[in-house]
Amino acid sequence: MRTGHFKESPSQLIALSDSKVVWGWVGGLLCLMLAMPYLVGVYGLTLVVSALIAVIGAVALNMLTGQTGLISLGQAGFLAVGAYANAILLTDYAWPVWLTLPAAGLTSAAISILVGVPSLRLKGLYLAITTLAFSFIINHVILYAEALTHGPNGVFVKGARMFGFDVQKGLPLYYLALALTVATVLAGLNLSRTRIGRAWLAIRDHDIAARVMGIDLVRYKLLAFAISSFFVGIAGALMSLQIRFVNVDVFALILSIEALAIIILGGLGSVAGAVLGAVFLSFLPEGLRLFFALVADPNSTFYTNYVYEIRGIAYGAVIVFALRFKPEGLIGIWRDARKYWSNWPLAY
Amino acid sequence: MKKTTLTCAALLLSATAYAADPGVSDTEIKIGDVNIMTGPAAFVGKGFSIGTKIAAGEINAAGGINGRKIVVITEDDGYVPARSFQALTKLLEVDKIFALNGTSGTANVLAMMPLITENNLPTIVTQAPAALVYTPVRPSVFTFGASYEDAFYAQLKYIHDNLAAKDAVYGIIRQDDDFGKEVEAGFDRAVKEFGVTAPVRVRFKKGTNNFSAEMAQMKQAGVTVLANGGIFAGAANILSEARKLDMNIQSAGVWSEGIPASAALSAPAGYNFLVGDYVSLVGPANDKFKLLAKKYASDEEIAAISRYTYVSYIGLKTMAEAMRLCGKDLTRACTIEKLKGLKNFDTGGLSAPVSFDNPKQLSGTSVGVYQYDAKERTFKALADFKQY
Repeated sequence: MRTGHFKESPSQLIALSDSKVVWGWVGGLLCLMLAMPYLVGVYGLTLVVSALIAVIGAVALNMLTGQTGLISLGQAGFLAVGAYANAILLTDYAWPVWLTLPAAGLTSAAISILVGVPSLRLKGLYLAITTLAFSFIINHVILYAEALTHGPNGVFVKGARMFGFDVQKGLPLYYLALALTVATVLAGLNLSRTRIGRAWLAIRDHDIAARVMGIDLVRYKLLAFAISSFFVGIAGALMSLQIRFVNVDVFALILSIEALAIIILGGLGSVAGAVLGAVFLSFLPEGLRLFFALVADPNSTFYTNYVYEIRGIAYGAVIVFALRFKPEGLIGIWRDARKYWSNWPLAY
Repeated sequence: MKKTTLTCAALLLSATAYAADPGVSDTEIKIGDVNIMTGPAAFVGKGFSIGTKIAAGEINAAGGINGRKIVVITEDDGYVPARSFQALTKLLEVDKIFALNGTSGTANVLAMMPLITENNLPTIVTQAPAALVYTPVRPSVFTFGASYEDAFYAQLKYIHDNLAAKDAVYGIIRQDDDFGKEVEAGFDRAVKEFGVTAPVRVRFKKGTNNFSAEMAQMKQAGVTVLANGGIFAGAANILSEARKLDMNIQSAGVWSEGIPASAALSAPAGYNFLVGDYVSLVGPANDKFKLLAKKYASDEEIAAISRYTYVSYIGLKTMAEAMRLCGKDLTRACTIEKLKGLKNFDTGGLSAPVSFDNPKQLSGTSVGVYQYDAKERTFKALADFKQY
């Protein structure tokens, strides 16, 4: 049994994990993900792709809110920028999708700098309101810049082919989303251990103290916005590929709230928590549907009349109970379980 | 021998074709419905699902469609386009529906459109008959309903011809989206044709609830005929502001204001506003429908009947007629073909007869004009269904 952590070389220090067991689990999970299209049906795959997009968005928001402490309610806006950039470049300018995807991320990152500037002076709820205002501005621009965005009519996304495959549906879309999710998670994990990531943590814990230690607040706060928004833009682009239609209604404010709920439920500040939160909330409605289909009496008029209300209440209740009894989030449950397993049969 | 082989091949081919279309068994036909069952606009989806239930009950009680019962499967999208896409994916892949009757809002049906066309899914759009749905025309998509442009033009024409003074001043307040643009198109057409003064055009963001500044602008311009492009609480708040400013106006509204619950919100302002709609809100057809509803719906559901109930009823009855015409060998291709050829299908007076035999596959474009009596809280018909 392992009794402690002893790092004897620089390579051990920079490794993501020194545990063969962890790598074994990660390898197993990756194999499972690679085999996923053959294990679930088309609908299941659609849900998994949506969950992967949510994972990218959550890991990105975690960089900004969880790691840097900058609360953002503008995720729906950044998502819209990425989705529209991808849709317009693909459909109106016939760019190849391998170019539109990074372009979507870069566009979102560039615009985020504008939002990031006020963050240099604002914190907490004040910043949240500023980012919320940004979402409204983006909606306004989408509606009024008709020559570019097609206004309220929206854009049907088509022509996304990569290596001869149509990456807007089925297996190609799934593997593209999986590859980008793995890349985002790796970026999130690696960034948190670099100078940038540590600077973000210092800013989150106490920005004045961080500045005294020589951390350039302007640079690192703007970097947090830009890097986070880059990945949110990619998530938006993937969303536009999956739904194949974008208009302003697709990016409602509720998406920003859901994104915050995901990282809080998963465990603020943790990449694994963001992943768990995204997966949990993405599958919760489907899980509840299956649960009620099993336990509820289909002939009961009470159930058939109030099925949607019952599911809605159950959805909210699960989140409230999870946060009430485990405020550290799902990652807290995971850590407790791991500790229990490591220490077993000794008392926890 | 040759004849037997050919017969076998033909049978196999027909069996393959039959098996290729999901949602049809010897005993039932599955019809999908993606709708707003949760959230602030849930009453739209609930009203809609009641119509579907009544239509399915009536059809099944009469023996079904060539012996097959209709089974309706509803999925909630909460009015979120991304969820509409997921909901339809589930209906297609898990429930294996044959056709689609409920399609939620405009952005929602557009988000589902790639799946609808890819699967050649017979679809009748009755809730959001926007031009974007039938432009360009998708072979399997049939739209039932008038445009907001026609609905507003019809009301303004009625006001101009019957209610307004000669020196009336026209004003419009509308959302800054595709829906608002259609409302303004109807207003533009009316203003141009009548040669009247229209000094104020106000746009507002979806979800806005305070219209004090906007209505003050209207008051200052002396507006006496108002095209009220607000919906639900928004429309009521606009009229409430007008009352506060003691404005003497004739108001034209969106058809969603024909829902009893929505109209009741506007009632305290005391304006007898107009509504243009492609389904009947009052009259013998509605009374007959309510009698029918008693057989298949609960008292609670009957109380929740709204215009959305009528549109879904018409949609499913129309789809059923096309499927009936296909006979025993029911396929999606045949249903689409029969829908394309459908002419003057009688809806029992709930709307103008349905005909999809036109290049746009569009019907129900005739508009009736109704007026709300704010004191009695009832509607009365002012003008019969007419093409504008």
